[in-house]
Amino acid sequence: MASEIDLYNQYPLHMDPATKAITLPQSSAYTTTQQNTVTNELNELNTLHRALLSLDPPNIPPPPLPVNPKRSAQITKLRESANTAFRKNNYAEAIRLYTFAIDMGVTRPGWEPVTLAREELAGLYGNRAQAQMALQAWPEGLVDAKLSVDSKPMGNVKAWWRVGKCLAEMTRYEEAKGFLNKGIELEGQGADSAKELIALLIDVNAALKRVQGA
Amino acid sequence: MVNWLSLAVPLAYLGVLIGSLATFSSLYRKRKAQKAMSLEPWFPAHLQRDIYFSLLHLDPSSQSEKKTPNVPESVQKAALLRRATEDIRRVMTLRNQKQALSVLLQRGSVGDDLWQRFMRAEKEMEEEVRDVVSEANAYTPNWGQTIFQSANEMMNNEIYRQRIKEHEDKLDEERVWWEKKRTSVKESFMKELNEDETSSPQTQSQTQSPAAKASEIAPATPAKTAASVQGSDDDAVLVEADPSSNQASPSGGKKKKGKGKK
Repeated sequence: MASEIDLYNQYPLHMDPATKAITLPQSSAYTTTQQNTVTNELNELNTLHRALLSLDPPNIPPPPLPVNPKRSAQITKLRESANTAFRKNNYAEAIRLYTFAIDMGVTRPGWEPVTLAREELAGLYGNRAQAQMALQAWPEGLVDAKLSVDSKPMGNVKAWWRVGKCLAEMTRYEEAKGFLNKGIELEGQGADSAKELIALLIDVNAALKRVQGA
Repeated sequence: MVNWLSLAVPLAYLGVLIGSLATFSSLYRKRKAQKAMSLEPWFPAHLQRDIYFSLLHLDPSSQSEKKTPNVPESVQKAALLRRATEDIRRVMTLRNQKQALSVLLQRGSVGDDLWQRFMRAEKEMEEEVRDVVSEANAYTPNWGQTIFQSANEMMNNEIYRQRIKEHEDKLDEERVWWEKKRTSVKESFMKELNEDETSSPQTQSQTQSPAAKASEIAPATPAKTAASVQGSDDDAVLVEADPSSNQASPSGGKKKKGKGKK
């Protein structure tokens, strides 16, 4: 057993001397699927390597906490300006800025806490959903709202409401009902925040009846 | 002298006894180990680990080839991180499976082989984790304490990014669906409008009725009746002239704006 830990399969890897990128040279020894999995893994490795190089020496990822505040500050700034654009009814601009902020949030380095990324992106996606809805871009709004809900299911009433609203606008009442029920369930039936959801659910149910009756 | 002779018999007896026991035990152990070895491993080959070791062992072979520089340490660190991430995934899988498997074993639903395979995988992972920690400490002191924290976050982040991607991939599908739906709704309006125009000269009064019908079929706001009538009005405008729908949109937007912002 002791020798087992030292056993491994050798891959004839090749390193580009300039970029330090690792590749697996094409060889007949591997099937295409094997080749593909190894190549995918190596791509991940190279991306991670580049991320590590951008860090200060000794080039190891810092412990998850505390977080480097630089990126968070930039995202907050972008969100603020996007919110301002939204308030001025400049929805296209708001969407553009939210998209920038979301991109920054998504490209957060992997070793930073996932809860932070989720929290941040839930807000950003929720806000972008609202901007999309203001432009009556229902499918886009729906996807964004769903993303927001997925990132942070608890305490995210607005996003649940937006999912329901977008679906209702696209006449997909059944789906809207499902999402709204789930949102209400998570929020708690009697909770104050669930009121909007319940109101929308009533509307959706009425619409559903009307469609079925017609 | 006499003592030695009389002792020879018990000594020989002991020798034979111990010898046979030792042979039996070594044979038994060997066979058991062989059996364990012949069992299928729990996990497939550890690709990240293979790559990591391949990188470590790249140096001697490359020296014989050309003047390729050694693999820089940062690449090795990245490979080690990838390896740690995969380890976390496997440890988690084992932890999740253990409970269910032990219950199944107690009930006799699964064979002993499976349990042995599992125990072996667990032992291997323990050793693997220890190995990663010592390797990490060799690169940078104290990295071993945090490498698995980082790896855990990396794994979770990866899962999360994948979910984001899944959702975003659906966007095109949704868009196409909505486009189709909208045009079909629009067409049905047009048809009704045309029919009405041809059937009766009183277009003025007739155009109102399809608009009213629209509230049934169209994606009207399922809010109060007032709102739904307004929604169908918008649709009627939309049928007559497309660009004007842009004018209609802000009013819809304002309606929703009340439902706040953070």
